[in-house]
Amino acid sequence: MTSYEVELVAPGDCDVEGIDSGRSETITVDEDEYVLSAARRQGVWLPADCQQGWCTTCAAELLAGEVDQSDATRYYDVDREADMILPCTARPRSDLRLRICQMDELNDLRAANSLPPGRSR
Amino acid sequence: MSDDKPHASGSISPGDTSERVGMAVLRERGLDPEELREKLIDAIGAEFTTYYYYTNLRMHLAGHEDYKEITEDARLEDRAHFELVVPRVYELGGHLPNDIRDFADRASCPDAGLPVPYDDESGQLDITTLTAEDVLEVLLEAERCAIRTWTEICDMTRDVDPRTYDMASRILQEEIEHEAWFVELLSMERDGEINPAGHFVRGEPGDAPYSTNRRFNDSA
Ligand code: FES
Repeated sequence: MTSYEVELVAPGDCDVEGIDSGRSETITVDEDEYVLSAARRQGVWLPADCQQGWCTTCAAELLAGEVDQSDATRYYDVDREADMILPCTARPRSDLRLRICQMDELNDLRAANSLPPGRSR
Repeated sequence: MSDDKPHASGSISPGDTSERVGMAVLRERGLDPEELREKLIDAIGAEFTTYYYYTNLRMHLAGHEDYKEITEDARLEDRAHFELVVPRVYELGGHLPNDIRDFADRASCPDAGLPVPYDDESGQLDITTLTAEDVLEVLLEAERCAIRTWTEICDMTRDVDPRTYDMASRILQEEIEHEAWFVELLSMERDGEINPAGHFVRGEPGDAPYSTNRRFNDSA
């Protein structure tokens, strides 16, 4: 089983148990594991809701590395092109560096492209 | 009215209807009422879309009358969840999206559609290979999403917002029961395995023993 190092970078306005805002933490994620559940298991309480790759609550920016996002139930080319991922359904395919707490940014991107969850969110 | 208003306290002036103490008390305790409200709209969007989608899923369990009956319970209880929480959205200064498409788009759980292709030529769903197992799997995953959503809302509101917490925990209890029902049914249907849900039958379809709005509000 291959495991990868995943560095989670928390912006200054990101209040997540297990990482001081403005700092980063590195966790280990197996190749067949989702980043979100691995983080929570290791004490980093990433934001989440559906955990089915739909709601965007867990959104993160992929700063480095590669993920398999094929299990997400709602994921668009524009997300991929903007390096936005949904860690609840993302499996690592390399070591990763992620900027967490990017729900508003992903929702803005979706709205700008007339994609759900849309402007009413 | 007396000039002396012993009931007036806090930063909201007596008679001011532009603000709500019911929101201010949440803010004072560190919970952003607008953020909560938007999350509630997403969550009840999922209950409402599930109510819609389960209608179609249930129809396609033809011949499995036991599964249909249980799906009907879950369907009507999800509608009860929507109706239980709708008033809370307005109390928190919000409203339902005017366009139902916006409401469905922002639902916090995936559309629980029939897992079959849509035939563009005939304008019909291609249900030739659809099985009860396929339908039960969609039902199960929908319930799992709902459990996660209402657990998150319980986490947000615990010790801070007893009213929303009470609603979310009532709904959560039923969603957990629904998951157990569909674990039982799918285990047997797909794997021939006995995995009891351990539940007693409802009094009537859609009973919603924990969450129905009737016990709070007979007019709903
Ligand atoms: S938690 Fe919903 S998309 Fe990740």
